Amino acid sequence: MQAPNPLRRGLIEDRTGEPCAVVIFGASGDLTRRKLMPALYNLAVNRSLPSGFAVVGVARREKTDDHFRAEMKEGVGQHSRRKPIDPTLWTDFERGLSYVAGTFEDPKTYSKLHEHLEALDRERGTAKNRLFYLAVPPADFGVIMKNLKEAGLVAPPSTAGSGAPWSRVIIEKPFGHDLASARALNDTVAQTFDESQVFRIDHYLGKETVQNLLVFRFANSLFEPLWNREHVDHVQITVAEEIGVEGRGKFYEQTGVTKDIVENHLMQLLCLTAMEPPISLAADAVRDEKVKVLRSLRPMERSMVQDNVVRGQYARGYVKGEEVPSYREEPDVAKDSRIDTYVAMRVHVDNWRWGGVPFYVRAGKRLARRVTEIAIQFKKVPHGLFRAPDGGISPNVLTMRIQPDEGIALRFTTKEPGQATILRDVAMDFRYGSAFGSNTPEAYERLLLDSMRGEATLFTRRDEVEEQWSYIDNVFDAWRAEASAPPPLYAAGTWGPEQADDLLARDGRRWRRP
Amino acid sequence: MSAGSATRLIARLEKELRDLWNPPEDPTAIPMSRVCTMNIEVIAGSHELLERYTPVIDEVTASIPSRVILASIEPDAEGDEITGSATAVCSIEGGHNICSERITLRATGNACARSASAIEAFLVPEIPTALVWLGRVHVDDPVFQDLANDAHRIVLDSMYTSLASLLHVVSWARTQANAPEISDMAWTRLASWQEMTARFFDNPDTRQLASKITKITLRQASEPGARLGPEPALLLGWIATRLEWKTSRLGGKTRFKRPDGGTVSIELGSVPLPKGVAPRTLAAVVLEAESNGSTMMGSIERELGSGAGSNQEDATLDADVMVWKLNVSGFPPHEQRVRLGANKAAKWLERTLHRPKHDPAFDESVSFAEHIVQDGLTV
Repeated sequence: MQAPNPLRRGLIEDRTGEPCAVVIFGASGDLTRRKLMPALYNLAVNRSLPSGFAVVGVARREKTDDHFRAEMKEGVGQHSRRKPIDPTLWTDFERGLSYVAGTFEDPKTYSKLHEHLEALDRERGTAKNRLFYLAVPPADFGVIMKNLKEAGLVAPPSTAGSGAPWSRVIIEKPFGHDLASARALNDTVAQTFDESQVFRIDHYLGKETVQNLLVFRFANSLFEPLWNREHVDHVQITVAEEIGVEGRGKFYEQTGVTKDIVENHLMQLLCLTAMEPPISLAADAVRDEKVKVLRSLRPMERSMVQDNVVRGQYARGYVKGEEVPSYREEPDVAKDSRIDTYVAMRVHVDNWRWGGVPFYVRAGKRLARRVTEIAIQFKKVPHGLFRAPDGGISPNVLTMRIQPDEGIALRFTTKEPGQATILRDVAMDFRYGSAFGSNTPEAYERLLLDSMRGEATLFTRRDEVEEQWSYIDNVFDAWRAEASAPPPLYAAGTWGPEQADDLLARDGRRWRRP
Repeated sequence: MSAGSATRLIARLEKELRDLWNPPEDPTAIPMSRVCTMNIEVIAGSHELLERYTPVIDEVTASIPSRVILASIEPDAEGDEITGSATAVCSIEGGHNICSERITLRATGNACARSASAIEAFLVPEIPTALVWLGRVHVDDPVFQDLANDAHRIVLDSMYTSLASLLHVVSWARTQANAPEISDMAWTRLASWQEMTARFFDNPDTRQLASKITKITLRQASEPGARLGPEPALLLGWIATRLEWKTSRLGGKTRFKRPDGGTVSIELGSVPLPKGVAPRTLAAVVLEAESNGSTMMGSIERELGSGAGSNQEDATLDADVMVWKLNVSGFPPHEQRVRLGANKAAKWLERTLHRPKHDPAFDESVSFAEHIVQDGLTV
């Protein structure tokens, strides 16, 4: 093993990627132009890119390096959070951009790529390190990975810091559409890459507030002692959007909100909320704890779905005063579509910490507000010492807002000034934007840099993905069994179907109105 | 000045602070939200210097909302009194009016002796306190000692005081139980240099050359013959301590020895000082290494004044480009250009306040720099 770089010992602002070539398959696509290239450019502006660095776009269309650079410059100009483009930095950055044209099925594409990467190692000092980004549909993963392997483009797994050349692959969700397809996809990936080389992006995990969940829980001694069944009455997790399917009707007809949001983002939020303290922040230590949560979920047997899951689909309605169409009126959506645009679930984490504490989770499109939050509702005081107008004192609620207005709020009860003892709920409200300014890195910047550094904590591991699907699959089994029943409709701009309110009302609780 | 007048001043300012947060009379006005994440005490030797620094601190509080206490301590000024005022400094963030509190005090004559207690009266409890000392520090000054002992961090800028002043404070801190951490904005400015220097040895092909450096060249923007500035001295200290070099003296001259016994020669030089750039600013570093016939030369050159060409929103004249070059025998040369962020006092203070309080590399580099100061190295 090679000794580490002595000049990096104790370097406080050491957030630079390792020398590498980033190879983007699907470089002509929207993701590359809108997200990946602006993120890489922002890393360059922030001096986070290594000196040995190159980006190689791979796609079917023939184009020159200059054409590719011009396209990327336009994309960065439109979508970077740093505007305008700095011409000096762009000139330096674009020297590292190049393009290889070819179909993903053709082995010649990969032999060309191989030669090109070797030249970059010599000319740009990329140190034989490769970061493959598959910005392509999952159906293309298999053929790309097989060809990468056969072309000798994949280095064997190596220990971090060993100095041996590394190969890593980043893949985007959806990681399958059910447990069987997720396993098949993972098996395909595993034929080429060791799990330690696979970085599955869930961009939610790149958000500052999501990362802060761990800090909040495990760096503050105040809350962790209360974070259990003794003190918590229930937990609500909400991922609500105002927008509809925004022209993605075709995609949505194949997925729905449960597969698009609940199976990944929402489950990850649940894991971070419910997990035990990891022994360290090492990737596997954190992911082991998340997997334990997923394995603790009470299986949603088919017979339980009706009582614990509510789905819905948006009908016409008003969002912010504007009339919006129903889901079935959206382009590329079937007139009799049964796809879920809303889902609410009661989830139980059957372990020592959370036994008996329900987690109510919901996600939906065309809801009243765009908000993502985790709300921990604590138990009521055991004895009503004070007279409250509604006959009871409101329980304390700790809310972690992921978006918008990232922050943390704590609701508690206080006395109104005056002779009478009148109680009033107040909130202590901490907003990230106010306290620290709002120019935080985009999730893709953080995640791309982490993958260049081989830090996998914010990426999803194979067993997490499969456990998530294992849980969700039962819900779909039950829905398939009731094939004739359409999902309940809810008016756009509301908080979902009435049945979702009933789900909590049966437990004597109600949804928050965030 | 009587103790009673100080008490009355504090009471008046506290009332002014409370009044700031009364609901606005105009119902259509955006309500002000008081946000406070730390106390920042800024101490200057004159009210003129403090006035010049006030816009800097206002800019800092836009991203680190704080209670700021700006105080000028002027024992030679006429009058024995402490005067002051309080105001809110607000910035619009996402439609919210986010406000910090700024208290300005001026102590003159004999009242200076009591100024520390007046300043401390305004500290918000339970949050960190940073003491920013503008100008030279005298560690036996009771005002400094009183404020420093209650601070979590002392922030200096050795570029504008001196490396010797920094060393005095560091030495003083070593003798104190529960001493505050010392931060130097010159050290913060070196972060980019350190990171770029480390890049010479990131590639496995060059890694082993880090222990075979034969020569280091440093250039600063100054007249020839000027003393070595804090930035180059601290960078030299940082490289030397990371690579475990030892110093020795031969004929009164400092020599640098590698752990393998090899000698590292040091060359110091100067470049012309462009207008608007602080004297003795670090301008270039060049490392040369040789091992088994393989040679390496890595250079980082700051294009002083090139920030003028930047089209970025927050650019200043000296948001300069740094050109990084690496030549290793048998490999093609590599070059990278990065831009330093806007070189503004507010930015450096903000970054310094965001850094971890304790930085072992800083302590080690400062200790090493003491040798350089003793030698009075010039360029």
